[in-house]
Amino acid sequence: MSSTHDCGSDAAAYALGALEPAEAEQFRAHMDTCVVCRDEVMAFQQVADALPMAAPQQPVPRGLRRRVLGQIHEEARAASRAAPSRRRVLMPRPALAGGLAAALAVATAGVIALASGGSGTAARVIAASVGHAELRLADGHAELVVNKLPQPASGHIYEVWLQRGGAEPSPTKALFSVTSTGSGDVDVPGNLHGVSEVLVTEEPGGGSPFPTTPPVIVAHLS
Amino acid sequence: MEMIRDGEVRAFDVIFDRHSGAAFSLAYRMCGRRAMAEDVVQEAFVSLWRSGARYDRGRGSVRSWVLSAVHNRAIDAFRRETVKSGRDVRDDNLAEWLAADDRTDREVERRDEARQVRTALEGLPGEQRQVIELAYFGGFTHTQIAEMLSLPAGTVKGRMRLALSKLRMTLADGIGLVS
Repeated sequence: MSSTHDCGSDAAAYALGALEPAEAEQFRAHMDTCVVCRDEVMAFQQVADALPMAAPQQPVPRGLRRRVLGQIHEEARAASRAAPSRRRVLMPRPALAGGLAAALAVATAGVIALASGGSGTAARVIAASVGHAELRLADGHAELVVNKLPQPASGHIYEVWLQRGGAEPSPTKALFSVTSTGSGDVDVPGNLHGVSEVLVTEEPGGGSPFPTTPPVIVAHLS
Repeated sequence: MEMIRDGEVRAFDVIFDRHSGAAFSLAYRMCGRRAMAEDVVQEAFVSLWRSGARYDRGRGSVRSWVLSAVHNRAIDAFRRETVKSGRDVRDDNLAEWLAADDRTDREVERRDEARQVRTALEGLPGEQRQVIELAYFGGFTHTQIAEMLSLPAGTVKGRMRLALSKLRMTLADGIGLVS
């Protein structure tokens, strides 16, 4: 952000969802380093969250409940048919931000515990039922190497996320696919200062501003 | 939400039943078209289901989380359209839409909160209320609003900040929805 950046005004526009997509992405990156903006957004977001109350209340149209829950139930049945044993696997987990433990149970993502990042620190290999991956940290640079990861669905891509403590996962520009044998690698952008987990999910092509599927890779940075 | 994190479909049914009314109301207020609003609500709840592990209690209520997803999906839908139209078109079967007369304590409380939020919005200066309406309910970016109103982008952002600041003060004193 420039030296003339007005933290307050951008925070208000961000909370309202009124920044251009590229501006919003830039502002999210800015918030990583600006406590003023983080505090402003938190305050303004509370107000924005109350605005829906001003909408005239309508009853839910007939059929909508059946369509929505019908789709949910079908996806749940499909997931259960695809990997029934996964649901009974609860990976041992350290304290995680809201609900990631369940994501592990659903996705059976392997967990790696890395030594602190730094020059020459070795990474352990992730053992995952849908593939293998390791996060290689060296001199503050991170590279994610995957093997045997299923190719994403047509029109989809794998996206890398950074999670800091209890915050929502932050999207990155690291989008990747894999070869026919499931191999691939991608640089994890940005510094990993304060990052507690590196995640990978399958998203629509071009990426997504928030995860829409459970993670297929989870890497815990200790 | 504990149960939803374990993928319990039955728990998700409860989540839908509790929050779908508010979700559809917001979607319809933004879209103005029943079919589009229904699609937005469906997309939002499906994304909630698929990322059910991502709800974090520290981020607010379940309702806020659901409505945030609806808001984001509506904006995505607007931006996919080549032309934004039909926002004010009346839907058919209007009689079917009369709100149910629900006298549960929680519904009475919610109607009271809704009235206070509407009053707070009406208490804003016209130019501030206008940018809030266009941004939040209209899904327009500050750039688009500036163009629509022939204003500098900085002015639009400034009005947004003033409006949210004033609403924050009003709602903190009133319904205590903000701290």
